[in-house]
Amino acid sequence: MADLISRPADRIPGPADLVSTTRPEPVVDSLAERLFRTQSPQRPQSTPVIRLEVDGRVVEGREGQTILEVCRDNGIEIPTLCYEPKLPGFGACRMCVVDVAGEEHPPISCSRLAEAGMVVQTQTEEVRRLRRTNLELIFSDHNAYCLPPCQNKCPSHIDIPGFLKANAEGEFRESARIFKRTIPFPSILGRVCPAPCEEHCRRDEVDEAIAIRDSHRYAGDQVILAMREQDIDPPLPFELQPTSGKRVAVIGSGPAGASAAYYLLIAGHDVTIYERDAAPGGMLRYGIPEYRLPKEKVLDPEYESITRLGGRFVCNQALGRDFSLDDLQNQGYDAVVVAIGCYDTNKLGIPGEDADGVIDGLEYLKIATLGLPYPGHAGTRVVVIGGGFTSMDCSRTSVRQGASEVTLVYRRDMKDMPASGEVHEAIEEGVTTIFQAGPTRVIANEAGKVTGVEFIRMQLGAADASGRRRPEPAPGTEFTIECDRVLLAIGQGPDLTWVGGGSAGVEATKYKRLRADAVTFLTPRPGVFGTGDVRNGAQTVVQAIADGRRASYAVDAFLKGMDLGEIRTRQTLAEPQPEFLSIVPFTSEVKAPRNRLRSMPAEERRTSYIEYEIPYTPSEAVAESTRCLQCTCEAIGFCDLRRLGIEYGTTLKTLEPQNNRGAGFRSVTENRFTGTNHDYIRDDSHAFILREPSRCIDCGRCANVCAEVVGAACYDFMRTGFDTLVTTPLDMSLNDTPCVSCGRCAETCPTGALMPKPRILEKYEVDESRCILCGICVDACPYDALRCGPDFELAHVSREEPMIDLIAIAAVDRETEMTYVRRERDWLERAIASGRDVGPRQLPVLPASLAGSANGNGAGRASDPGNGHNGHGPAGGGSAGHAHAR
Amino acid sequence: MTTILPTPAAWPRPLLGDPPEGAGAADGPAVNARLADPADLDAAVRAGAFAGLTRALSDLGATLTTATLSESGLRGRGGAGFPAAEKWRAVAATPDDVRYAVANGYEADPAGGTNRHLMTARPYAIVEGLAIAALCVGAEEAILAVRAEYADAVATLELAVAAAEEAGYLGEDVLGSGRTLRMTVRSVHGAYMLGEETVLLKALEGRRGQPEQRPPYPSERGLWGRPTLVHNVATLAAVPWIVVHDAPAYRAIGDPDAPGTVLVQVSGAVAAPGIAEVPTGTSLAEIVGLAGGVADGRPLKAVLVGGPSGGLLPAELAATPYTFAALRAAGAHVGSGSLVVADDRTCMVDLARLLTRYCADEACGKTIPCRIGLRRMSEIGERMVGGLARPTDVQLLADLGADIVGSALCDHERLATGPLATAMRYFGAEFDAHVKRGVCPAGVCTPGGVAAAATAHGG
Repeated sequence: MADLISRPADRIPGPADLVSTTRPEPVVDSLAERLFRTQSPQRPQSTPVIRLEVDGRVVEGREGQTILEVCRDNGIEIPTLCYEPKLPGFGACRMCVVDVAGEEHPPISCSRLAEAGMVVQTQTEEVRRLRRTNLELIFSDHNAYCLPPCQNKCPSHIDIPGFLKANAEGEFRESARIFKRTIPFPSILGRVCPAPCEEHCRRDEVDEAIAIRDSHRYAGDQVILAMREQDIDPPLPFELQPTSGKRVAVIGSGPAGASAAYYLLIAGHDVTIYERDAAPGGMLRYGIPEYRLPKEKVLDPEYESITRLGGRFVCNQALGRDFSLDDLQNQGYDAVVVAIGCYDTNKLGIPGEDADGVIDGLEYLKIATLGLPYPGHAGTRVVVIGGGFTSMDCSRTSVRQGASEVTLVYRRDMKDMPASGEVHEAIEEGVTTIFQAGPTRVIANEAGKVTGVEFIRMQLGAADASGRRRPEPAPGTEFTIECDRVLLAIGQGPDLTWVGGGSAGVEATKYKRLRADAVTFLTPRPGVFGTGDVRNGAQTVVQAIADGRRASYAVDAFLKGMDLGEIRTRQTLAEPQPEFLSIVPFTSEVKAPRNRLRSMPAEERRTSYIEYEIPYTPSEAVAESTRCLQCTCEAIGFCDLRRLGIEYGTTLKTLEPQNNRGAGFRSVTENRFTGTNHDYIRDDSHAFILREPSRCIDCGRCANVCAEVVGAACYDFMRTGFDTLVTTPLDMSLNDTPCVSCGRCAETCPTGALMPKPRILEKYEVDESRCILCGICVDACPYDALRCGPDFELAHVSREEPMIDLIAIAAVDRETEMTYVRRERDWLERAIASGRDVGPRQLPVLPASLAGSANGNGAGRASDPGNGHNGHGPAGGGSAGHAHAR
Repeated sequence: MTTILPTPAAWPRPLLGDPPEGAGAADGPAVNARLADPADLDAAVRAGAFAGLTRALSDLGATLTTATLSESGLRGRGGAGFPAAEKWRAVAATPDDVRYAVANGYEADPAGGTNRHLMTARPYAIVEGLAIAALCVGAEEAILAVRAEYADAVATLELAVAAAEEAGYLGEDVLGSGRTLRMTVRSVHGAYMLGEETVLLKALEGRRGQPEQRPPYPSERGLWGRPTLVHNVATLAAVPWIVVHDAPAYRAIGDPDAPGTVLVQVSGAVAAPGIAEVPTGTSLAEIVGLAGGVADGRPLKAVLVGGPSGGLLPAELAATPYTFAALRAAGAHVGSGSLVVADDRTCMVDLARLLTRYCADEACGKTIPCRIGLRRMSEIGERMVGGLARPTDVQLLADLGADIVGSALCDHERLATGPLATAMRYFGAEFDAHVKRGVCPAGVCTPGGVAAAATAHGG
């Protein structure tokens, strides 16, 4: 019989047993002990050190730590969605799976204790696949939108709702600062950007799209004005970093190079920008006419923000002509950024192309934008071939230079034309446009001088890779346009003749572009980066600026000695954006038409290089920005789901094209697991916490924190199966739960399902002369801000005490089998039964809707000022101490 | 009333009790009526109840009892087949001073009835088994957790516990040994998931029934964070027999790797559905034969072994022995001990997706692969039977199933992929017929329904 009593009897006591048979200190099961235990999952740091191998690295941890804790301590990131550092691992999201050598199924690292000698891998193909499947499953039931479509479609992902909000509040400087976080030049882009954002603006479903471009143009102009007139520095988007001592050479001062230089300067590096021409600006200065982009008024001041940060421009220095990459690296530059753009105009490849009078459009513009009349242009008949911005600039500049007749010919339809937005302005100014026609030969006279161009009509065939229908010649439809000059503007490629020799080690792609990685921007030559049009081919200014900015992040990472290979695997710098997830229809908005910029009359424009658009007045700028619907998820920037969705490529419609192939990325619309999904109603009834259950991923963090840390237990998993949702009992308003408005749930939420409610704090005034003491406000107030006092008069209550006693709530015994039935109503009886002193403090005052007869609220209230506590505790009338009569 | 299927007289019956003297070979139902009142303590003691507890306390002691159990080779009957004695040793070895023993009588499988029968017909075997287990692992508190819908089982067990306590088999000073054992019957409400041990413990604590990551196992951190021994009632019911008859006798029964007997419930398209106690290692065909074979003389198409999350084994595998290892290798599991027989009129795609949908709806919703993944699996199945399948769906189903197993938290999640996985493994041609040709070979679903109706109309 005896051995039944002595417990470890069947074990032979030995040295090892001496440890395990030592009885632990008797556990004092007091409330404080229990709170301490639940709130301190971290092991004391005195446990023995163990060593294990993680990702091929030997790391140190403490006995009793989980794999996740060890990894976090050693700077190894494992993705999690449900892990709350204050609490033990929960294991709901299955994102923290890791590979442990010798285990059949990968364990989850948040719950698995680290053991000495364990061999862990955090990024194997299998665990990444499992994580990606999990994310795909989450997104298949994530009925919520993420980025607003405008920001999503912007190549540089400008925070458009953000700067429009600042604009609407009249904070134009702040608006420019927000803009400069992604693009340094709001005024330049405000004039030359094709504004892909506006095509996707959701306001278009109400009435008309917001004038996004014109709005940031206005904000940028205010900054320039302040700089010009009061010498106020332009706002910096980020804090200026201390000098790093690293030197960077940027070759090319166009939009890509300037943008890279700007952000590298902010990062504290020393930047020198080499420019081939006499003044910085590249295509902005020499490719875009004055009437679209005033050089002195806009370009120079915006570029001044670079020199004000300490950047130096070295002009008249061309790569390949005056220096090579070797020269730069020998001068001690730690990194070289090649951003020389595209200046080689493509050839037509048709007979007669080399006739006298066939002019490279860029050459023409370069002279014209200097303000010089192109020789012999006045009075000629000009044919411009192409449909991009260059062709438009060539046409409209030709008009201004006095050409007698300007004809623009484009082989596709007008809607497929990159510069379609400008067509109506060109026609107003007198340009003739012909669509769906391609040149077949240039006709010249005996002297080799152009007399005309023969074209053939194009019919539209099947759609090509760009989604536009491919033009195909229609035989027998040839026609001729007589002319004296032909301007070619059919696209450009980079000039790569400098490659080799002193600039060996870099190479061209098969499309004749500079080879550079899409994420790290590294060329095959160490320390040399390529960005902008030279890497991508001719693109828009905004694309070049975005590329330059992202390149600057890569260069910065390189200069700080970070591992660019890892950055490439995890796409941390790729800045891919999640696909727009769903559309919430707007129906009852007040309709207000777009504020359009007015233009000078076409007759005046024909002869003038002055900027033809008339800017907004301040009130127009504010009014236009106010139209923004702010259709953005409030959690952008804080959302773990979004971050992981990007890292694992499950949210992306398009990544960099070269990563999109083969890497197995799938977008939300390509999600393998489409099926039924939930659409929940937003709950904004609570004053401080906004609940958006459609964004909930049921990780359970709010429920665990609320129950274990706060003790209020407002949330739990409700319902079963696919319909499970972490919510309040019966989906009631938070006002009806024991919520103490601590905000910990919103703090821990990995998505935007629980958020601090944005609100403007107002001050309320009570006119006591009008008060009839009806008490309705007392009954209605969900937070008991108003209470009945002991006197028959309006009383003011001191709020020094916490609203609800957290300890009292934590003490509520969990004795029911259904968690959602919480016994809040009889807390007092049980508090007394457990010997707690409920005397001098104002103990939980529950919302009126919950308070039952136990609290004595209701009819007896006026005569029972202590909230009915009198009968229970020794200091029943305690509330009198807090309330004083007026 | 549950039908007890006749089994050969030579088969021992540690669980249902040995047939009374002079009983014929095929008088199974008579056994049920043997004890008019199963909760009658005196009658039960006359039939041998509490002999095991007496022997364990007075003769063997905890060490030897556990050793006997270990030697007998008894494995847990809850489905996973973990050696029972190892659990006991693990709980007994913990340094904690408070331990619990829990009998899992939450029979989750809607088609199962073996536990219910055991609890109503042999309450004292369970009470005694739990008492022996609790005393051996050093637990002073034992809980019989019974599904609340089983009102008869709850009532019978409550009577039995009260009678045993009054007679001194439980309570303070058990059989004069000085040991204390408080045993309570708890009726628990919940869902399918409560069959899982960590979920059951959460429910007993009054929390939402959701599983916890294992390890730590309940034997280390269980009820209220204390070491807890959790056994299925069928495991515990075998313990007194083993203690009384000694290990070699039990070891001699059935399959050497997992000796003993199991309670199986045969239902579905059989002539005489019912419960039988069979030695482990009996073939599936033999078990189906006990129930009179397939009804109406139809051919056997498949047997669903292990409940809603079990495996669909084809007729060709009817010779599979009923053991943990063999069933697991075939893609099924012992689970609740139920066998549902499907004849040739059953569409496997339809059956598998229905079972998956049941498992998906019964999920507790804690983890993402389970909450969303199982639903997506059943939706893919629904697409197949509805004629909306995509060509990639078979592969997608396989991929998703593998990923759910790979990142699963509990066994429900892992096993719930079983019906579709085994159906695809053994009835792949039927899936192809649905997806590629729009035909249901069994004529149950209408994958090509719209097209067929249109053709019929035109013709």
